[in-house]
Parts: sequence; C-alpha cells; structure tokens
Amino acid sequence: MPHRIEIALKADLFDAKGEGIRQKAKNYFGISCKAVRIINIITIDADLSDAQCELVKDEVFTNPVTQISSLKPLNIDFDWIIWVGYRPGVKDNPGSTAIEAIEDILKIKFTPDEAVYTSKRYCLKGADLTFAEVEQIAGELLANSIIQQWKVIAASDWDLAEGTGFIIPRVLLDHIPTVSSVAVDSDKTLQKISDQRNLALNPDDIPTIRAYFTNPAVIKERALIGLADPTDIELEYISQARSDHCNHNTFQGCFSYRNSDSSQIEVIDSLFKTCIESPTLALKKKKDWVISVLWDNAGIGRFDDDHFYVITGETHNSPSNMEAYGGAITGIVGVYRDPMGTGKGSKLIMGSYGFCVGHKDYKGELRPHLHPRRLLDGVIEGVRDGGNKSGIPTPFGQVVFHPGYMGKCLVYVTALGIMPAQIKGKPSDQKTIFPGDLVIMSGGRVGKDGIHGVTAASETFSEHTPAGHVQIGDPYTQKKMQDFLLEARDQGLIRFITDNGGGGLSSSVGETARFSNGCEIQLEKVPLKYQGLDQWEIWISESQERMTIAISPQNLNTFLSLSEKHAVESTVIGTYTDSGKLKISYQGNICAYIDMDLLKSGFPQWKFEACWQSPSCRGLYEPVLSEPDDYNALLNDILARPNICSKEWITRQYDHEVQGTSVIKPLAGVERDINSDACVLRPVLNSNKGLAFAQAILPAYSAIDAYHMTSCTIDEALRRLIAVGGDPEHVGGVDNFCWPNIRFDSKTNPDGKFKAAQLVRSCRALRDICVRYEIPLLSGKDSMYVDGHLAGKYGERHKISALETLQFSTTGVIADIRKCVTMECKVADDLVYILGITRNELGGSEYYEHFGYTGLNIPKVDADQFSLIYKALFQAISRELVASAHGIYRGGLAVHLAFVAMGGGLGIFADLAKLPARDFLQDNILLFSESAGRFIITIDPANQSAFEALFDGLPCALIGKVNAKADLVIQGKKGRIILSTPVKSLKQAWQRPFKDLL
Amino acid sequence: MSKIKALILTGYGLNCDNETAYAFEMAGAAASRIHINNLIDGSVCLTDFQILVFGGGFSWGDDHGAGVVQAVRLKTNIGDKLLEFVEQGNLVIGICNGFQTLVNLGLLPGIDNNYCRRAVALTYNDCGNFQDTWVHLKINQKSPCVFTKGLDHLELPVRHGEGKFYADQTVIDQLELNQQIVIRYAWPDGTAAMQKFPFNPNGSLADIAGICDPSGRVFGLMPHPEAFNHPTNHPDWFYIKEICKREKKEPKLPVLTGTCIFENAVNYLKQS
Repeated sequence: MPHRIEIALKADLFDAKGEGIRQKAKNYFGISCKAVRIINIITIDADLSDAQCELVKDEVFTNPVTQISSLKPLNIDFDWIIWVGYRPGVKDNPGSTAIEAIEDILKIKFTPDEAVYTSKRYCLKGADLTFAEVEQIAGELLANSIIQQWKVIAASDWDLAEGTGFIIPRVLLDHIPTVSSVAVDSDKTLQKISDQRNLALNPDDIPTIRAYFTNPAVIKERALIGLADPTDIELEYISQARSDHCNHNTFQGCFSYRNSDSSQIEVIDSLFKTCIESPTLALKKKKDWVISVLWDNAGIGRFDDDHFYVITGETHNSPSNMEAYGGAITGIVGVYRDPMGTGKGSKLIMGSYGFCVGHKDYKGELRPHLHPRRLLDGVIEGVRDGGNKSGIPTPFGQVVFHPGYMGKCLVYVTALGIMPAQIKGKPSDQKTIFPGDLVIMSGGRVGKDGIHGVTAASETFSEHTPAGHVQIGDPYTQKKMQDFLLEARDQGLIRFITDNGGGGLSSSVGETARFSNGCEIQLEKVPLKYQGLDQWEIWISESQERMTIAISPQNLNTFLSLSEKHAVESTVIGTYTDSGKLKISYQGNICAYIDMDLLKSGFPQWKFEACWQSPSCRGLYEPVLSEPDDYNALLNDILARPNICSKEWITRQYDHEVQGTSVIKPLAGVERDINSDACVLRPVLNSNKGLAFAQAILPAYSAIDAYHMTSCTIDEALRRLIAVGGDPEHVGGVDNFCWPNIRFDSKTNPDGKFKAAQLVRSCRALRDICVRYEIPLLSGKDSMYVDGHLAGKYGERHKISALETLQFSTTGVIADIRKCVTMECKVADDLVYILGITRNELGGSEYYEHFGYTGLNIPKVDADQFSLIYKALFQAISRELVASAHGIYRGGLAVHLAFVAMGGGLGIFADLAKLPARDFLQDNILLFSESAGRFIITIDPANQSAFEALFDGLPCALIGKVNAKADLVIQGKKGRIILSTPVKSLKQAWQRPFKDLL
Repeated sequence: MSKIKALILTGYGLNCDNETAYAFEMAGAAASRIHINNLIDGSVCLTDFQILVFGGGFSWGDDHGAGVVQAVRLKTNIGDKLLEFVEQGNLVIGICNGFQTLVNLGLLPGIDNNYCRRAVALTYNDCGNFQDTWVHLKINQKSPCVFTKGLDHLELPVRHGEGKFYADQTVIDQLELNQQIVIRYAWPDGTAAMQKFPFNPNGSLADIAGICDPSGRVFGLMPHPEAFNHPTNHPDWFYIKEICKREKKEPKLPVLTGTCIFENAVNYLKQS
C-alpha cells in the first residue's frame, strides 16, 4: 500500500520557484498565469504504518517554519493542476535520499521491491487559462516526455480525496536474463544481426569479426568451454570497443585530401598520429613539466615538486539535446570521473563549460525537440547542479549562439584535478595491474541506462519500461565516492583506477585487462538497480557514477570497510588474469571468451575523402561597406549582440569559490561584472603558486576556413592565459572537436568531402600552431556527428549541421599568484597601450555578422611573431609593470576597449592614428577587425620607459590614456572624435539583453 | 598549552571541509576532518574536541530542504551528544549548509535555551536561483557571539540557493531583543541592505546573514569565512595591490580575511 506526502510552502511565503515558472510561461509563450504554487509529492511505496508516515512527514519532509504538509492531498487553490513525475527507471535522486532519511529515522531497511518516488504538483491560477495553454506549459516548460510523465487536471475534474492518484514508476521487466548466440555464416547475416540489434558494427569490420570466430583454432578453444557461435555479449563488446566513441576511428582514419582545383592527392594516415600524438610527444621531450599524456583518462602536468595537476575535456551533446538538464548534469559529473580515474586518482579542483545552442529567441518554423531557450535553461541548470553539488568550483565558461546548433547543441565540459606527486613513495601518475588483482566496481548500480546511446530514444514507451537511455547524473553519490577513493588512494589501496563512461564495464574492464593481459568476470555479482537485465546489458550499460578499480587481494577488507564508512557500494566482480583472454561468466556459465589481442588485430582503417575548396573558390568575398557615421549607436548595438553581451546570470549560478582557492574570478572589475580573460586558482592552499585556466570557441570562422578557425581559437585560449600572467613556457592544451558528419554520401551528406577537408585543415592548424607555441596537447576528445534533422512547417525535414567547432582549453602554472593582473583599467591617467598589429581581417567577424555578411579576410595567426609579444608581456607582468591586461577577442578593439573601461568604471581615450596597423586601414576596420595576437594594456606612467624597453622592436604603441571621466572617447585617423559615449551607457547596453534573468 | 582542537564534519555530500580545516589551522587550531559516520559509530569522540564545525556543501544532495537530512541523521544518532557538547561550554559553528543543519537540528536559535526547537528557517532565495556573490556584512557588536568579538564589518562570499532567513515576526523580535542577530547584509558603507538585491542576495528577513544562540557559543551564518583565507580571495585584491604599489606600500586590504572568525573562536577557548 503506497503512501503519499504532499508538502508546500505556507501560503504567506513567496514561492520563488513558482514565480519563476509564471514568468517563463509569460515570456516564452505569452501565457498569463496569475500565480503558480508548487507542491512536492513524496510517494512511499513501502510497508509503513500511518504513524510511521506521520513521523517521517513531520521530522524529515516538513519544515515547520516554512511548510505545510499532509498525507492527504493539500487543499491549495487552483484553476489547473499539472502533475509531473519521472518515467520508470529514470534516476530519482531525491527519491534515493528520502529512502536514506526514512531508514535512518525509523531504523528500518527498505526491501529491494520498496522505493520512494518524488513528483510535483503545480497549482496554476488563471481563470482564462485554456487546456491547450496548460498542456503547453506542461510539455514545453515543466516536463520532458523522454524522462517524465505528466497529467493536466482541470479544477472541475479534481477530487480532493483522490488527488493525483498513485503513480508508481517502478521498473518491472519480468524477463529472465538470456545469452543468445549469433550465427556468423556470412557477412550478410552478421550485418543483418548488427542492424537488428542496433550493434552499429562497421560493415568493413564484419569480415574481421567473422574471420576470428570461424578460425579453426578459435573454434576448437571455444568448444572446450562450451561456446560455438559468438554470443550477443561478445558482439556487443566488440561493437563498443570498435565504436568511434571509444576507438576514435575518424581521427585514426586515412584521409585522401585534395584541393578542388588540383588533381594532386595527399594521403594522411591518421590525423591523431600526425597532428596530435607526434607533436605532443616531441614537446613532452622538451618540457619536463609534462608528466603523462596520450594514454590515461586525462593528461598530467607538474604543479610543483609535490603536486601534479590533471586536465581533460569532454562533450555531452546528443543526450543534452534530448534532455537538456539530464544530459548536461550527466556530462559534467561524467567528466569529473576522468581526473578521478587518472593516475591513481586526483582530487577535482575546477570545471568549466562551453554551451553552443540556437538563438534563445528563435521564432522560425523549424521544430527542434527542445526550443533553444529551454535547452539553454536546462544545460545551465544541469552543469550548475552537477558542479555545485560536487563541491567543485566552475569559474570559467562560454556560450555561443548560432542557428547551426539547432540540429544538435554542444555541451563542452572540462575538468581539472590535483594530486600528490607521490603516493606512498611511488609516482602517482603510474599504475599497473598484476594477475590476481581483484576487479572492483564502486559507486552506483547498473540499470538499462545509456544502452546503445540515444538510438533507443525512438523506441515507444510502455508503463513500466525504463526510460533510462537519457540519464540524470547524481553528484551526491559521486561526491561520496570521490571522498572514499581519495582516502583509499592515500592509504595506498588503489593499484589501478578508471571510470565507467561510454561502453560501461565493457570498456573499463576490457581496457584495464590489457595491463595484466586478461580477466575473469562474474557478471551476476554486478549490483543491479532492478532485476531482468540481459547479460550483455549489464556488460555495456552506461549507468553513471561508477569507477572500476584494481586492488591487491590482501587489501580487500580494508578497502571494503573504508567503502562502507563512506556509504559507497563496492563489489568484487572478478579477477584480473594473464590468460590472454577476456572471460565472462554468469552464474557459472561462460558467456564470453575472447582473445585480448583481437581488438589490436587487423581491423580495417576507416577511409575518408576530403576535398577542399578555397573560400574565394566558394564565392566568398569582402562586402562593399562604407564607414558608418554613428559609431556610438553601432558600438552599443554590437555590445548587445547575443554572443557579446553579458551572461552574468549564468556565471552567478555557478559556485566559483568553493574550496577557497579563487584568485582571479570569472567576473572582474569594480562592480565585479566584466568577464575575466582567464581564471586563476590557488589549488594548494598553503602555496602562493597558482593554476590559470582559459578556453576559447570561435566557430564563426569555420564559415571561411577551419584552418584559421583553429589557429585563432588556440591563439585566443593562449592569449587569455598570458593576459592574467601565464608563462608562455608552460601552457598545456586540450582540444575538443565537435564536427558534423564527414563521410560523403551523395544523398544524405553531399558536402561530406568538404567537411572532411575542414577537419584535415583544422588538425593541421592544431599541429602547426601548437608546435610553434609549444603547447603540448595534454588531453582531447572528438564528437563527430553534430547534425540533426528538424521538422519544418510542411512536414518536411531539414538536415541542420553545426559549424565545425573546436573548443580549445589552456592551463598553466603561475609562479606567484600575487603578481597576476586583472583586465580592468585601474587608475586615471594611466597609459593605454595596444600590443600586436591590427590588420584588415573582418572576415567572419562579429561586425560583419551584425550586417549579415561573412566576408573573406579571416584573421590569421603568425605564431612566431606573436610569441615574441607574449614573452615580452610575461616579462612585463612578472616585473609588475602592468596595471591591467586584456586580450582583444571577438568584436575587436572597440568592444574590448569598452570592456576595459567598463571594468574600471573609468574613461578611456584612444587615438586610432597611433594604433600599430598593417597598411592604411579605415576606422571601422581598426575598431572591429578581429586580428589575433593583440592586447590592451594599461600601465602606471612611472613605468613607461621600463615597459617600452621590453617591447623594443615589437608592435607596441601608446594609443591613449585612462580618464577619470567615465567616457569612452575614440579619435579617428583623421583626427576627429568618432566615438564618445558614457561608459555607463555602454555597460547598460551590454547588460540589457539578459538582465532580467539575473 | 596544547592546541585547540576543531572537528570538521565530512561525508555525505559536504564539501568545504578542506578549506575550513585550513582556515582553522591558520587560526592556530588543530583541525581534523572527521566523517559523520565516525562520529556516529563512536570511533571518534566529540569530547576530544572544543570546536565542532558544520561546514558547507550539499549534504544528502539537499534534496529535501538544505541541511534537513543531515540534521535528521545527527539528531537520531547522536542528538544527545551534541546537546552535551554545547552544554559543556564548547563552540559550534555552522557555515552555509552547516547553518541550515543547525537550524534544522534546533541548536539555533536556542531561544529560552530550547536547543531542539526549529524556530527559524533558511529557504529558497527570492531571486529563485543559486547565487555566488560577495557581500558586505555589518556585525552586531552587542551580540554575545564569541566568533565575531571586536569585528565591525566583513566582506565574504555567499554561495547558496536556500539562504533566505525566515521566521515569524515574534521570533525575529526575540532574536533582536536577545542580540542573537550577529551579522546582517549591508551596503558597502555598512548601512543595512534593507532587502535590496544584490546587497541582500536572498531576501533574508531583517537582512539576517547569521545568528547565534543566547550564549554566543553556537553560531551559524550563510556567508563563507573559510573561502576568504588568503588576501587574493578578495575580489578587489588586484585593484588594491595596484593602488598600494603607487603609494609604495605593501598591499593591504581594508577588511580582515574570514579567518578572523576562527581566530576569535580559538582565542576565546584559550582564554576560558
């Protein structure tokens, strides 16, 4: 007999969450509600007495000061009710913690069949509301059919005694786990099976797989243990391991690249090897601070003699596109497991985000699954809860709006950790496994989560089928696990550790078993969320918050009791061996038996055709555009553009100070509201050393050439670090590629060869620029299918591909945080300098975009020249000659001069005639060109000669000064004041678009 | 004299334990991070400590009201030991999630020395969102609070979604009368924020940011003193450094770091 507790705020308390919904209904759909109040419902599906329910209601679920509650439906006035609950199998985090609290206070234990489910009842007031409007609020604001179910109830249909009724989203599979074998009599049969079972085997791989299972020696060996044809679990294992996600087939592929106007073909055998691995290995030799790259879950650099830092980046695009909150929280919580599983494990010290979505105010005819504004709300909240609840600061992030992300949004998440250089006297970055070590799974339990990714999203739902393919990350469970693992690490209990992400146990155990050359797994030992999973499902499920750990058997008891203390579930699921075999059994029956080296042997390389057409060949040109008269209005409007304007409402929702390490915060300036170039942390509290971090995303340039998009992105990420005081000798990079499908198909992907050429060019730029700037790639990932098919007005479907997008992150060690500089000008009468040359490079700029142009003259990076400036600036900052430093990024000089002035709350006078520029350029080009390699610096006049001496022979010019009167004043090349406007009004323009969201 | 010993709770989603322990060490205490379960199973004894710290974080995910489940667990398992600890003249501080836990335990406000009654609440911010921002705090020097002795003005970060102090007017009047309101959100000049966002970041009634019990030995606050453990934590540090440099002076902030709150606690115990 289930029980229900309804809880609501007392009537005289302001319901802030309800008010938020009322406002969104108004702003998003134009629907006017008078009021929205929220009732939380706890449904307890357990054998409790009424007295027990009363007790937990009063002691746990009701705050006597602010809330009312009842075991019967609360009588709160409404015109419409929307009830929203989870679908079966969706992670109900509050439900889980409710069980913990109930068990604790009643001193009982829930049986496996008992559970607590949470749901919400929204009471809407508004006499004129229609059913259709309420349905819209339910379906487009409050609930997502992928993870939630809802009911709309009119006042006339409401029965106060019955309430919403009891909806128990319990998973009932009623299925006996079965291993099936798969015939491999022909390639065709196997291909058919692959399609039927959603294995997504690459057709080219099928002969290799068949060759293995039809090899007489293999047949003979398998017969000895009772296996013949491959089992489903074996094929799933191979499919996972060979997937692009796990094996990076695209980056390992072979590209034939040619220019459209040439017949000459260049063959590139693996972009990964030629553009990532080989330059990084070469740089590792040169840079003794590079500790570990290219093999572990994240890269490792040296922080100081006693500490290493760890960094990696990920994307979580497809799931976020379907269920924004769940996808994003799973993404950030997931990327945090990478540093946890790097070396013997590191402690997380920060995360960052990069969101690429369609325009928030999109009003067109295309119908994405989630409107961009809703999608953005969801990903913001997902990363917020994932980061904040993990106790990890999120001090950096960016948002890019572009219609290309309507097909699929991008959610970049980056994580940094720190660890002692040694654990019990041994290097913490190194780990291995010995035969006989135990295979342990720690953390969450296994359900049908994430199996075959989002392909399952098209399946129909029944009442009790788990909707687990889109997950909701659980930072609480993971935080407990991280606390536990760090303690286990420090006690020397961990031999090897890795996370369970894509591919689940199949990947984590499959990959770790290579270190000992084999393993034996007893699948029935794996703790499940609910019964009825097939063996292959247990093996490849992507249920979150799990780590796979190898420990020596002698440490088992210590390890398990520590795990118990931290309320973390840890289970021995098998043993590592040196048999050369991956052997899996279920209740004594062997269901997989595969040679460890199968995956290394003879699978064919993916092949791509890449055909480059130069921008001018594609008909791109420079627009014919005269100089504007009204620069004041122009700058105000550009500052208000979605990709330039203030997004403080996001920054403030992210805890950027937890851990007490904050040095340079995401927002700087006297009013603490202008974006910093980079963030700086003090990750070791008793040291004045710092770690700086920045990232950049510049997809607009891909409309012209992904080579220069890439070099500009890297340059910006580097320059951001230099601007706060980073040392150009110690900069590590992380590359995160998000690309549309590059495989040519005349019907479904007619421009595939061009997109492939963009990828080749992008990787070449990555290599060229990183080698010149000496940035080793500490980590990187790729997500290759950023396309979507959206329904249009007439029932037709449009393929929407994102711009080729790279997020590049940089990190570096700061010798003394007290010498860092922030971006805002600080003192009136300080001198304003520009470093770097402004060129005629408006192609792909914000300025052109404002007028609807693309242009041709894309900014280019001259890394050798720019390096000289960066080194000199590093000297100037180290010698404390600089009062403020800020890079000139998207939007160009005018926008960034405005930022420096806005930050300081002071005025700036700048004379364009003094700007270091190539050729004679008109004022609008000087003001809005996005040439790379430039900075705005302000200095104390007393430091003039020392500062200028450092830049002798370099492009560095005194162009103006800081004024007490807070106006931005720009004098054009002809000596006339072309722009003069109060800094305050510029700031208002910049803040206005999203001000109401703060 | 041996060092004052501070116990900082960890586990179950708490997350400010490292920097809180560091700040206490800076203040001269010996700080131990102890898992809630070690306190419950008796392997660590509260009686070995003089300061108990309920730190920041998201205990049990804050799923059923911030600090609620933590309070239930502690009350159910070691409620009597906590009361004894307070009775014996020791100090208790709750920061953010810890403050929320203290009010749910009833250790605050402790009006009429009733340390079991939930009389005040910390509920959802009026702005509807989690907010990370630095605030100005005016300290009530008439308060008996031992943690804020001699302090007048502080600047600290707040980082919470449920920090709005709420209670019946009669309770607020009583807190006022007893000088139990220790710190209030303020304008930079120290005058009361008067509910004005973002100076009062959450809509707290009477701008209340922190309260103590009648003895002044139990203290809870939403802002995070432990996150201001180094001058560079302060948002204006780089500006102030530049100004001081022009005046050929060592950089000096106009306010003390948050560590002063912990120093006060340690000094109080040393003198008592």
